[in-house]
Amino acid sequence: MATNLGFLILIFSISSIYVSASVFYPISDSHRSAASEIFTFSDPSLEATYEALATLEVLGVGANSDVQTSTCKSVVDTLSLPTSNIKNLFFGLRVNRLLKCELSDGHFMDITARIKDSVPGANSLLDFYYSIGSLIDIKGQTSEVDVNLENADGIFRSIKALSQSDGTWRYSSNNPESSAYAAGLALETLGGVVSLASSEIDEYLINTVKNDIMKLFDSVEKYDDGAYYFDEKLLDASGHHGPLSASSSVVRGLTTFAKATSTSLNLPGDKISGLAKFFLGIGVPGNAKDLYYQIDALACLESNSVLIPLIPSIQSTVISHTSKDELKVRVTTVLGSAAPLLSVKLMQVFSSGSKDASIIDQELKFDSENGIHTLEALPESVDVGKFTFVFEIVLHDAEHKKIYATGGRTKVPIFVTGVMKVDKAKIAVLDSDLGSVETQKKLSFEEENSVSLSANHLQKLRVSFQLSTPLGNAFNPHQAFLKLTHETKVEHIFMVGSSGKQFTVVLDFLGLVEKFFYLSGKYEIQLTVGDAVMENSFMQALGHVELDLPEPPEKATRSPPQSVDPYLRYGPKDEISHIFRTPEKLPRQELSLAFSCLILLPFIGFLVGLLWLGVNLKSFPTSTVPATFAILFHVGIGAVLFLYALFWIKLDLFTTLKALGFLGIFLMFVGHRTLSHIASTSAKLKSA
Amino acid sequence: MANLSIYIVTLLLFPILIASFSPENPTDRRILVLLDDLSLRSSHSIFFNSLQSRGFHLDFKLADDPTLSLQRYGQYSYDALILFSPSAERFGGSLDLAAILDFADSGHDVIVAADENASDLIRNIAAECGVDFDEDSSAVVIDHISYAVSETEGDHTLIASDDFIKSDVILGSAKIEAPVLFKGIGHSLNPANSLVLKVLSGSSSAYSANPKLKLSNPPALTGSYISLVSIVQARNNARILISGSLDLFSDKLFRSSVQKAGSSTRYGKSGNEQFVTELSKWVFHERGHLKAVNVKHNKVGQSEEPAMYRINDELEYSVEIYEWSGTSWEPYVANDVQLQFYMMSPYVLKTMSTDLKGLYHVSIKVPDVYGVFQFKIEYQRLGYTSLSLSKQIPVRPFRHNEYERFITTAFPYYGASFSTMAGFFIFSIVYLYNK
Repeated sequence: MATNLGFLILIFSISSIYVSASVFYPISDSHRSAASEIFTFSDPSLEATYEALATLEVLGVGANSDVQTSTCKSVVDTLSLPTSNIKNLFFGLRVNRLLKCELSDGHFMDITARIKDSVPGANSLLDFYYSIGSLIDIKGQTSEVDVNLENADGIFRSIKALSQSDGTWRYSSNNPESSAYAAGLALETLGGVVSLASSEIDEYLINTVKNDIMKLFDSVEKYDDGAYYFDEKLLDASGHHGPLSASSSVVRGLTTFAKATSTSLNLPGDKISGLAKFFLGIGVPGNAKDLYYQIDALACLESNSVLIPLIPSIQSTVISHTSKDELKVRVTTVLGSAAPLLSVKLMQVFSSGSKDASIIDQELKFDSENGIHTLEALPESVDVGKFTFVFEIVLHDAEHKKIYATGGRTKVPIFVTGVMKVDKAKIAVLDSDLGSVETQKKLSFEEENSVSLSANHLQKLRVSFQLSTPLGNAFNPHQAFLKLTHETKVEHIFMVGSSGKQFTVVLDFLGLVEKFFYLSGKYEIQLTVGDAVMENSFMQALGHVELDLPEPPEKATRSPPQSVDPYLRYGPKDEISHIFRTPEKLPRQELSLAFSCLILLPFIGFLVGLLWLGVNLKSFPTSTVPATFAILFHVGIGAVLFLYALFWIKLDLFTTLKALGFLGIFLMFVGHRTLSHIASTSAKLKSA
Repeated sequence: MANLSIYIVTLLLFPILIASFSPENPTDRRILVLLDDLSLRSSHSIFFNSLQSRGFHLDFKLADDPTLSLQRYGQYSYDALILFSPSAERFGGSLDLAAILDFADSGHDVIVAADENASDLIRNIAAECGVDFDEDSSAVVIDHISYAVSETEGDHTLIASDDFIKSDVILGSAKIEAPVLFKGIGHSLNPANSLVLKVLSGSSSAYSANPKLKLSNPPALTGSYISLVSIVQARNNARILISGSLDLFSDKLFRSSVQKAGSSTRYGKSGNEQFVTELSKWVFHERGHLKAVNVKHNKVGQSEEPAMYRINDELEYSVEIYEWSGTSWEPYVANDVQLQFYMMSPYVLKTMSTDLKGLYHVSIKVPDVYGVFQFKIEYQRLGYTSLSLSKQIPVRPFRHNEYERFITTAFPYYGASFSTMAGFFIFSIVYLYNK
């Protein structure tokens, strides 16, 4: 069910893009260009090759000669191989029918003999289908070989035995599931049996099959737009068989059977047309298999002996009332070839939204050169708007009614567009209580407007204009918005209401203060009027209004956040560089040096003072040992002082303290000896 | 025996494992495509074929397939998901909203396409990404001024939009000349969400409403607030594309010609194919995926990386950045890669210079503040995956012997000490031996 629903959606989604609701177009160049893209002959199997060649032939696109040569080679190989299975033989013969490869009658004779042997033993529908199909192909390709079936009645009966009561067929007798796709294959096979029969098939048998066909058509499903299709109940794992393949197969079987038996089937014309609409509504399928099914079915419908559907296609469903466009209808067969003599009548015109239709019986003028039926003037009651036109195709020759299916009445949605008259546009600021006009400006939508107004919350803003159709009727566009945009990008949208032709919107700022988030300031005013049928839809900046609104109360809602511009959000950041601590301010170098010299002055004064006092070293010990200790003592003091100098220049505290420790012990020892010597000397001196 | 079977299984899985997404090879490989109907395969075949020709393995499933599952034994079996099933009310199998969000949260990419039949499920998936489709389920985007001129399409719901995001990395470097045809529903972006971006926005005259009914209230979405196609790049670099139109991807619109109302140029082919193909390259990480390698730093004049810097050191920092091109890593060239030297807040932020072969370098002076710093590169650019590198590095103050020793200003003090010392030395001799 989901598949069907999906298909339905697909049909609508696709058809509504180009083919709105119920306008169908015959096969056109877009199919041809798509077909040459899709069929790349990359799949070497004969089945795929046949499908590609058959489709291209129907579309009138030739396959290139390289493909033809290589395919022919594989066809001849397959057909001359005695072990090829029946399916390959079947498709080989079909390809051969299209390419006309060089096969001798001997080949055909061998194959015919093989197939004829296998037919009585066949038990599945596909075996019958391939065997009978092959024989039909051989019959079509050479007249030298006798392909007639002796026991046609028996074969017919055994195929018929697989049919179900609802018109569908089973693939084989031990498989209870039946499908519409198989029904199509069966009908095609039965048609083949009839044309191969050496004696007449029993009329009763043919009638039962006709009954089956009627039952099968009772189960046909319908879309809203008038398209009919056969649903496939039996979904195979690959998902290849869906409504498209089933419908295609039934159409093929039906037309083959009708042609072979040359009896009339009395099928309803709308169902045949509906099937054609179904295939056309698919548009251009994107895969080879679907395209083959579509084109194959349409080719069968193009020339069949049941009913040939005629497709009316409207060249443009959007018509301009102002430029007096003509409505043009072309009636063709599904593949786009010309229809027989007929006339197209416009029967009814529905206006959208209202049920009542105006009944018109107007024949379209036929231009036999281009094969186009033209509605020269729109009916008088038709103004701009959305309409549904109902057409009917009337065949001139009564005999044609048995050959062609016109599909009854065709409903076509038509948009009649026009240039609307816009005038008397005004913008005004009103005083609230009295309604008196404070300032009023005229607007023109042909040129730029830049009105500048100011208002406070006790006033009102009124924008009004008139809109009418080319015929002077009132017109209510789908889109009539007045937009106020604050400097902070907060937007407010108001609908412009209408009464008749007059459009007015009054903004009472007192009631809107809260909606405006109490944002005072400049508001840009923009008016947009648009409709599907309005050719001069416009979006105009009218100017701005300077609003003076009261201060927001504490609990007022804030304006919503506006999204940030992504380009700004992702840009590089500003560079940051560290500000380093500034070095302390120092006096100038010369000053420091000058002070250094000044500092040395007391030392020099000390030296001068010593000399002035006339110091001497007369008490220096004279004996060797005390003199040595005295020298070592003073060298030690000098070493300690030198160590201090070194400490400043390069040493660190630890080295200095270590060295100072050793020097200190040494100095204590020699100092003690020196000082005790001096003390003993001076004691002697005193005692002496 | 068990070992042997594990070995065989591993051997069989190996080609699958190496073909899948990895940091070294960030392009997705295996994509699950969920469809409402298998006929979409045929009607959207150009899009699917272009993916397949770019080496993706597409696995088509119906959205209600009861065997659906993204995970097998805790491992994701797909790298990306395409949801072309707008009307699916629920998915088959184990797939649901939470499973899809987990899928994206673990860094996988998703394409979601909706249309006017969008189900609540699809709307919820979009809402989780910061995209809110119009709540009115019958509303479609209408534009009476920039619609696509058509012989048969009269209600102006087929929109020709050329308001693209200005980003070469998202939409490719070739300019999209023809407008993109769009037919579907509009959405708005949550302003609080900074990860979601409009790729294709509506024109200022667009609005979202039901074309068949008269409007009674102003529409919820109007003007350029309407986003038609949006993208999300999550913080884990998972990329999500959300389109309000499934037809955007269809063969029909890929092939159709386009003329924007009010313009006289008619393009033979719409911009859809280029737009969708380029966008899908971005979504599936064929473009805009960056990696940074070989982060190095050292003192100026040295080549070894120190464990610690001293304040006021001059240092050099370099990193190599490459962009994934779908098949190989190409040098990334930009002039806005910035390095931060960061402790609580950036102390230094400097733009790096590049040699145009992927190498970025900068030299900075360490600030005179000590503590534990970080080298940080936070590179977030529109459309690129974000690069976030950080490396801790301590900074110490001067050691006691690293201060200046011979300060001229202090010479008077030194002079005083040393002259006193010299005086003491002479005085000690004179005092002891004077007579």
